Amino acid sequence: MSRHTMLMGAVATFALCAAAPGFADTSGKRIALSNNYAGNSWRQAMLESWDKVAGAAVSDGVVAAADAFTTSENQATEQAAQIQNMILQGYDAIVINAASPTAVNGAVKEACDAGITVVSFDGIVTEPCAWRIAVDFKLMGREQVKFLAAKYPEGGNLLEIRGLAGVFVDDEISAGIHDEVSRSNFKIVGSVHGDWAQDVAQKAVAGILPSLPEITGVVTQGGDGYGTAQAIAATDRPMPTIVMGNRQDELAWWAEQKAANGYETTSLSIAPGVSTLAFWVAQQILDGKEVPHDLTVPFLTIEQDGLEAALETTPMGSVSNVEYNLDDALAVIDPAG
Amino acid sequence: MTGFLQRPWIWAYLAAAAAFIATMYVSGGQGAGSLAYAALTFAAFAAIVGVGQMFVITLGPGNVDLSIPATMTLAGTLALKFMATDSSLILPGLGIALGVGLICGIVNFALILLLRIPPIIATLAASFLFQSVAIWSNRGLRIKPPAPLADFSTGGLPGLPNLALVAILIAIAAWVLLERGLAGRWILAIGQNARAAQLSGVPVNAVRFGVYVGSAVLAALTGFLLASFSGGANLNMGTEYMLMSIAVVVIGGSSIGGGSSNVPGIWGASLFMFLIVSMLNSYGLGAGVRLILTGCIIVTVVAFASKRSHSA
Repeated sequence: MSRHTMLMGAVATFALCAAAPGFADTSGKRIALSNNYAGNSWRQAMLESWDKVAGAAVSDGVVAAADAFTTSENQATEQAAQIQNMILQGYDAIVINAASPTAVNGAVKEACDAGITVVSFDGIVTEPCAWRIAVDFKLMGREQVKFLAAKYPEGGNLLEIRGLAGVFVDDEISAGIHDEVSRSNFKIVGSVHGDWAQDVAQKAVAGILPSLPEITGVVTQGGDGYGTAQAIAATDRPMPTIVMGNRQDELAWWAEQKAANGYETTSLSIAPGVSTLAFWVAQQILDGKEVPHDLTVPFLTIEQDGLEAALETTPMGSVSNVEYNLDDALAVIDPAG
Repeated sequence: MTGFLQRPWIWAYLAAAAAFIATMYVSGGQGAGSLAYAALTFAAFAAIVGVGQMFVITLGPGNVDLSIPATMTLAGTLALKFMATDSSLILPGLGIALGVGLICGIVNFALILLLRIPPIIATLAASFLFQSVAIWSNRGLRIKPPAPLADFSTGGLPGLPNLALVAILIAIAAWVLLERGLAGRWILAIGQNARAAQLSGVPVNAVRFGVYVGSAVLAALTGFLLASFSGGANLNMGTEYMLMSIAVVVIGGSSIGGGSSNVPGIWGASLFMFLIVSMLNSYGLGAGVRLILTGCIIVTVVAFASKRSHSA
């Protein structure tokens, strides 16, 4: 048992990890965040969470440095060069949201060989020496259909909003959806690509709606639920149950409908604060803790009862977020190990 | 009839009509009205940026504005942030969007003229600048448009969305400018032979300046309308309009080499670009097949349109 877990037990009211200074084992360690893209609200929230939690950890002396770097062009080659720079700068751990699961493996291996701990999250890397905090995207698709199946046991027609064509995440979520649909009474009557953007989804849905029969539910991938609702609201169709993806505009629309006509749905996504989970996992590994190489990110689910509370804590125009503390990280590490 | 068929823009309309009929075939004829209404709404965005891009492309080989997506994003972001859902600020907000367009256009042309950078590189480089300012200014937060503005952009007369009305008026103004105005003659003359145009007294740089600024202002207006229409500005909201703006110009029968353009084709091509996606979605084809078919159909339409215009 490492020293700080004993310390943790001693501090009974241990609520904020940042409140417990003096983790001697990692106070001299430096952690870097290598991020491949910053051009949407999810990534912006991810970077802000990192600044907040990792910044607090630095000022509390948990680690010596926690610097965030973002490549400008979302290119794997650029990120590989960035990782090589981090190796030269002598960081003890590199936390990565990777542009590609395989293309930065070479640079990751070099980092491992230099004795650097590499933790990838969200955009994971397949290089075995690195740790992975992966999202179970298939499950994300399954959960949506399960919710709809519980709500409509008799089944019905579904419209599927997909993400960006050709991207691994899109294929995985869609595979989960189709797999679960095949075991339910639902039928997918239409499928469009919304590119995870409200305006693109709105356009695609408006285009396919005229050729569709009545729709019971809409399964989505996040960032596309509000646009879908707008497109359907522009017609005289009854509003189907649209599964949301934790964006503030989606939640605000849902709350509005709930107040007006008791609209019921659910919302799930990955919290951008997953970057802070990766931070604590990296810190724990540096601290000497045995951590399994493959971990899974918990979903952030918002249900009918928790809607108002979630909406209140979500900044206008952003995405619902939770920042993880050391306890949360240990909870993710331990059931897996 | 043969004279009619020789107009290069007719093929875009024929293709749009074919896509419309094919979609209706799947749905058994239901929803024709709402599909036409949706097509007019979404084609409006492509038509406005398309008109701006058309003038730029008309200037001749190498002239293209790749900063349209970033200009749209920046204008939408800054204007919606300024209005902050306050209805009394709609007109100043529109002013800010158009002002952003003006500045973006001036930056583009300054890079092209003063630093002698080729337009493709200059507008692409400037777009990184615009995009970064958009990210920095609002961190990707989506701020809702004021209610009256949202109502205007999503509303319309029966059968004619307000946005389509705006885009049709812009297209008519562009047609008058190109076909009847002196400036239009100048633009065509530069596109056909810049040296000859200069020697014959055309103020080449002033015209090019106006064209690049015009394209950026139209992009900014589109960004403002799109953000109002879809409930907020996204950092990646303009992405698809980079290729879309060029595609509608070419499919509409304008020459990609410049010097020969037409406005009606922009609208036909914009309708076609929306309807082709709707049609392929309605047939339930996978994304791969859909993209391949879209590519093949575009090549076919362009081939027809350019063949006719050469023989004409």
